[in-house]
Amino acid sequence: MFEMLKKIAKYPRVTGNYPKEPLDKSGFVGRPEINPDKCSLCGECERRCPSSAVVLNNTEKTAGINIDECIFCGLCEEICPEDAVKMSHEIELAVKNREELRVSPLVIEERDIPSEDYEVLCGRVKDKIMKKFGRSLQIREVDAGSCNGCDYEINALNNPLNDVDRLGIHFVASPRHADMLLVTGTASRNMELALVKTYNAAPDPKLVVAVGACACSGGIFRDNYAVRNGIDCIVPVDVYIPGCPPRPPAILYGILKAIDRI
Amino acid sequence: MKKTDYDKLIQETFPEAVIKTEYKHENMLYAEIYSRSIRDLALFLNKEKGCPLIFMAACDKRKETGKFSVFYVFADRLRHILIVLKIHAETEYLSVSKDIPAASLYEREIKDMFGLVPTGHPDGRRFVFHGNWPGGNFPLRKDFDRKHKPEFMKRPLYFQKVIGGGTYEIPVGPVHAGIIEPGHFRFSVAGEPIINLEAQLYFVHKGIEKLCEGMDFERAFYVSERISGDETFSNSLAYCQAIEKLASVTVPERGSYTRVIFAELERLICHFGDLSGICTDVAYGFAWSHFNLLRIWSYQLADALCGVRFLRSVNVPGGVRKDYMAGKKEIMNEFLDKIQKELEDIMKIVGRNNQFNDRIEHTGILKHHTAEDLNAVGPGGRASGVACDVRKAFPYEKYSGLNWNEIVKSDGDVAARMEVKAGECFESISIMRQAADAMSEGDVRVDIDSLPPDSWEIGMTESSRGENIHFVMTDSEGKIDRYKVRTPSFCNWPALCQAVNGNIVPDFPLINKSFNLSYAGNDL
Repeated sequence: MFEMLKKIAKYPRVTGNYPKEPLDKSGFVGRPEINPDKCSLCGECERRCPSSAVVLNNTEKTAGINIDECIFCGLCEEICPEDAVKMSHEIELAVKNREELRVSPLVIEERDIPSEDYEVLCGRVKDKIMKKFGRSLQIREVDAGSCNGCDYEINALNNPLNDVDRLGIHFVASPRHADMLLVTGTASRNMELALVKTYNAAPDPKLVVAVGACACSGGIFRDNYAVRNGIDCIVPVDVYIPGCPPRPPAILYGILKAIDRI
Repeated sequence: MKKTDYDKLIQETFPEAVIKTEYKHENMLYAEIYSRSIRDLALFLNKEKGCPLIFMAACDKRKETGKFSVFYVFADRLRHILIVLKIHAETEYLSVSKDIPAASLYEREIKDMFGLVPTGHPDGRRFVFHGNWPGGNFPLRKDFDRKHKPEFMKRPLYFQKVIGGGTYEIPVGPVHAGIIEPGHFRFSVAGEPIINLEAQLYFVHKGIEKLCEGMDFERAFYVSERISGDETFSNSLAYCQAIEKLASVTVPERGSYTRVIFAELERLICHFGDLSGICTDVAYGFAWSHFNLLRIWSYQLADALCGVRFLRSVNVPGGVRKDYMAGKKEIMNEFLDKIQKELEDIMKIVGRNNQFNDRIEHTGILKHHTAEDLNAVGPGGRASGVACDVRKAFPYEKYSGLNWNEIVKSDGDVAARMEVKAGECFESISIMRQAADAMSEGDVRVDIDSLPPDSWEIGMTESSRGENIHFVMTDSEGKIDRYKVRTPSFCNWPALCQAVNGNIVPDFPLINKSFNLSYAGNDL
């Protein structure tokens, strides 16, 4: 017991103060950026990008990256003969509109599972949401076909360093208790039904946040027989958090953005 | 017995069975045999020679040979040799599952993915696909289009029934109460004790193996990193090994030592997570938070070394991407000193807590013979007395030159698995220090331009969960023709289902956490 108390006294508080204080992001690998002055449009990165996120527009002579599809591997930076691509340190990338992450137009697969009223319902309750939740938030996490990387990062939100309880954010055991669904993964074939059921089980008003490249767009697994290209094919999404996987502060940034606290 | 003896032994014992044999490497014997003899030969290797069946894979070679090929890999871990058997099959082949239980799930998987029927298999139920998948679609056949999404069906799934007075079923999942991956568990119980547990997995099946077909090896590498998030490095390393063997290149010494350091760092991160998870599941908050602190420090070390928490994009086929260890030895040793000191202290405190030990001792016992039968691997196997560490049995990179011990316990309960994991953390710290001392200046990678056509190789690593096997086969253009992944979770899920029998339902999360298996790594 004495040893235990000694340890507790030795490490009284390890919790960081993000988002009140900004993070030191200097060592992080963040969003890739293409410098248009250096880029020669050679197409090397477009050809080799593992998740086909690089888009060249030869008519307008521009190159860009669909960040919702990007897996942050850094291959483009490594192979660029002109040294035009740099991995920045930027990790706070969550947005409410997926178009903001993209350079090429967005085509969402036909939504065939849920009926129309999801859309209608969501539009109607959206204004209420902000008023109702106040400052506290209950979250249910759903893995709909991830590699478990995003899930471990969501788990890390509860560790002593991040400790999201300090912000009034709690993870709950049932969708019945949840205000927000935090969804990871591409929406695999076998999880489609479970995701819809979980969505329906959460009481209105509710928010859905897509975590990671897979949930945003299908990521590297896009267009395969057993997956959908992102969860917005199945449920309406309020905030997209790109990354593969996004770091815990990046996920926290997205969660807070969804409830307009950032 | 000398290494070459297996060649002669098989030829002499089964002269009628063998089409050809060759040593692909010093430690790998490859034998092509007639399909009618597979049962005899498999039984001979497994029962008489004591070699566990560690891997099975099928390939659709109907275009080239008109038939499917099925590979069986047996491992003689004491003599460091792999025996690879290959047979051809048209629509069916002989099942060996009745005698070799470890084969059962592979054969069911092959049946779902290829439509190749194992005759005499005791369990004819579906395995990979759920009730929504229409029959007659076999994704890994070459004529199946990878973008084709078959119609949704509604067919019932069958679970084993336990019948009798007072027995009932508890269905759990796929969406669980914690922040974990999806899977469905069907407990059959009589009161509190579990009589039978069946795990229905493959909820996160994404079709990784099909996705990689036709890719060039660079692109498939990034998929290999995303098989199972927390085993990123180990999976990509096994893939890289297979590619490097195919291309016949040797990774420069500095690159190889760097890989050892990162592989052990990944093990530290995972084991600390497991240790804290075990403590959470018995509501031991103090130990939970301190093991988590160690995990945070390990992540911070990863950040300091490469800037990526999950060690993604650190490997490349041919070495490591950059010289990550340049000037970082001091920082690493500082972190390791801190981690080691704290781990020693916490293990002492935890060891003295009788309430905690009461919960973990004699809980979830995996018997030695069950572990052997099912080829349980990793800490789960080693806690039941199976010495199965790939780093000792089939040393890769620079492990054979380093001084460390394989930790094997015999009790097979949660406490034993916890001891194995804690012990391995100390060994990992020691290995990382030794590797940093041993490395000299030099290159960290070699370039690989292309792969030879129509060949195959196996890469093996010891991930934090155990023996990890990646099989890569190239097509006539040197692209990936077949990429079969067998992560340790595939072997250990049935072992977990055996270990919980007789325990009470509230202990299931604890037992589950002590194995901590990956759903994504199993489902692919």
